[in-house]
Amino acid sequence: MKRVFNILNIVGLAVLGVALVLFLQNWMGGGIVLPSQFYTFTTIFLGIFIEAAPFLLLGTLASGLVEVFFKKEAIQRIMPRNRFLGALAGGLLGFVFPVCECGVVPLTRRLFRKGMGPAMGVAFLMASPVLNPIVILSTYAAYGWGPVLWLRVALSLAIAVATGLIFAVEEQPARLLRPSSLSLAPIRGASVDVALPMYQGSLGSRLRRALGIAGEEFFEMGRYLIIGSMLAAALQAVVPQGTLLALGSGPLLSVLVMMLLAVLLSICSTVDAFVSLAFVGTFTTGSILSFLVLGPMVDIKNILLYLQVFRRRTVLYMVILPVLMVILATVFINLNLGI
Amino acid sequence: MSERTHKILQAVILFGLSAFLFYKIVSGTLYFYINARFTWLVVLGGAVFLGLAFFAWPRKSASHAHEHEDHDHGHAHSRSVWPLTILSIPLALGFLVPSRPLDSSALDTRGLTTNALMSVGGQTAVQLDQPSDQRNVLDWVRAFNFAADPVIYEGEPADVIGFVYQDPRLPEGQFLVGRFAVSCCAADAFAIGMIVQSDEAHQWAANQWVHVNGTIQVSHLDGVAVPLIVAESIKEVSIPPQPYLFP
Repeated sequence: MKRVFNILNIVGLAVLGVALVLFLQNWMGGGIVLPSQFYTFTTIFLGIFIEAAPFLLLGTLASGLVEVFFKKEAIQRIMPRNRFLGALAGGLLGFVFPVCECGVVPLTRRLFRKGMGPAMGVAFLMASPVLNPIVILSTYAAYGWGPVLWLRVALSLAIAVATGLIFAVEEQPARLLRPSSLSLAPIRGASVDVALPMYQGSLGSRLRRALGIAGEEFFEMGRYLIIGSMLAAALQAVVPQGTLLALGSGPLLSVLVMMLLAVLLSICSTVDAFVSLAFVGTFTTGSILSFLVLGPMVDIKNILLYLQVFRRRTVLYMVILPVLMVILATVFINLNLGI
Repeated sequence: MSERTHKILQAVILFGLSAFLFYKIVSGTLYFYINARFTWLVVLGGAVFLGLAFFAWPRKSASHAHEHEDHDHGHAHSRSVWPLTILSIPLALGFLVPSRPLDSSALDTRGLTTNALMSVGGQTAVQLDQPSDQRNVLDWVRAFNFAADPVIYEGEPADVIGFVYQDPRLPEGQFLVGRFAVSCCAADAFAIGMIVQSDEAHQWAANQWVHVNGTIQVSHLDGVAVPLIVAESIKEVSIPPQPYLFP
C-alpha cells in the first residue's frame, strides 16, 4: 500500500506542477498549447468533484452527528437479530438516511463502528443510493410508473440484500473491514473490543466535535473521491464512447456495454435516470436497468471509496457479486419479458 | 509533519475549497461544470467547507479544557502529506487552469446523440408548445424525436446558438451547430446538434460559437431524421454564460 501512496503522491505533484506551469505561461502570455483533452479532462473532473463534494460533506456530517448523538447500545437494540431481517432493514435504511452514493460510505463506516452487523451494513451501502426518496422521485420523473422504475427498485433491493447476506457468514465485521475503519477518532489505534465511551458534554461542544470529525473524515474520503473522479474523467476524455456503444445490441452484449458505461461515467444516482434516457430505443430495457442498478453500487469513484473502508478482498466481492447478479437478472429480463 | 502543522494545512485546504466553490459562482464559470439547478448545493457545500475550516483550525487545549478530547492527542508520530497533496489537486486545477466548457474536441470521444428524450411517454406536448424561433438546439432535436413525421416543421424559422462542429460525415457546404446537454455535471454531458447548410460552411473554424438564423428542413444522419437549417445568416458570438443546455 505504501508504494501505491507514493505513486499517488507523485501523480498528485505532477498534476499540481502542470497546473502551475499552465497558469504561469497563461499569465505571461506564453505559447504552450496543451492538447484539448487536458481541458476536457479538467472540466469533467471538476464537474464530478463540484457535484459530489457537497454530497460527501453531507455524509461526513451525518457520520459526525451519529458518532456524537447515537449510543452504541441504542443501535444494537434497534438492529434486528435475524440476519435476513437485518439485511432487509439495511436495504431500506436509505429512507431514514437519504444520503446518496458518496455520502453513504463514511456513514456506513461509522455505523459499523457503532456495532452494525456486516449483512445490514453492506445492504445499506449497496441499496441506499437507489432506495431513497430523492432517487425514486427522479427515476419516476424520467420513466413514470413503469416497469423500469419498479424493476430498478426491486432489483437494487434484492441484490443489495443478497450481497449483504453473503457477507453475513462472517460473524466478525472486523474481518471484512480495514483495521482503521473500526478504530476511528476519537481514540486512534484502540482495539475493536474496547467499549468506546460516548462523548459527553454540552450540546455546543458535541456539535463542535461532530464538525471536527466531519472535517477529518472529508480528508480521508475526499482523496479517494478525487482520485476516482480523475480516473473517470481521464477515461472519458480518451475512450470514444461511440465505439463502445456501437458494440452491443444483443441481449447479453447490450447489458455488458451499459454496465461498463455505468462504471466509467461514475455519475450520481440522483440523475442517472435522466442520463439513461439517451439510450432508450437503441438499447434493450434490460441493459438500461443494468445501468440503473449497477451504477449506484459499483463505479470507479465508489470502488475507491469502498477501499478506504473495507479490506481489498471484501471490495473485490462487493464488485463481482453485484456485477454477476445484475447480469443474470437483466439478461433474464431481456430474454423473457417483452418490455 | 507535526500534528499541529498538519491541522493548520487541513484548515487552509478546507478554506481553499470553500473559496474555490464561491469563486466559481461569482466568476460565472460554475455552469461550465454543472447543471444550474444544483447551484444551491454548491452554495451549501461552500458554506459547510467554511465551517469545517473554522473548526479544523487547532486550538490551544489548555485554554479550552472542556474540549480536550476534541483532538487526537498523544500521537507524536508524524502524519503523511499525500492526502493533503491529493486534496489540493482540485484547488490547483480550479484556480490555475483557465476555465473552459466542453467543446467540439470532447465531441470526438463522446459522439453526437440524435435521441434526446426527456422522459418516456408524456410531458412532450408542453415542451413543444413554444414559438419555433425560441426553440434552442435541444428543443429542435426533441421536436424531431417526438414528431410522427418531422416534415411538419419544414419551413419554420429557426434561431439558435451553438458551437461549430465540422462533422466528417457531412457533405461539403454543411456543418453542425452543437450544444452539450448536461443533466447533472459535465461527466454526463451528451452532445446534440443541428445541421447548418450554407455556402460559407467550410470557413467556420471548429469551436467557434455562432448564432444561426434560417429555415428548417428535414435531413438525415445515420438514418435518423435530424433538423437542418438553411442558413440566412451566421454570426460570430462569444460563449454564452450558460454554455450547456439543461434538459
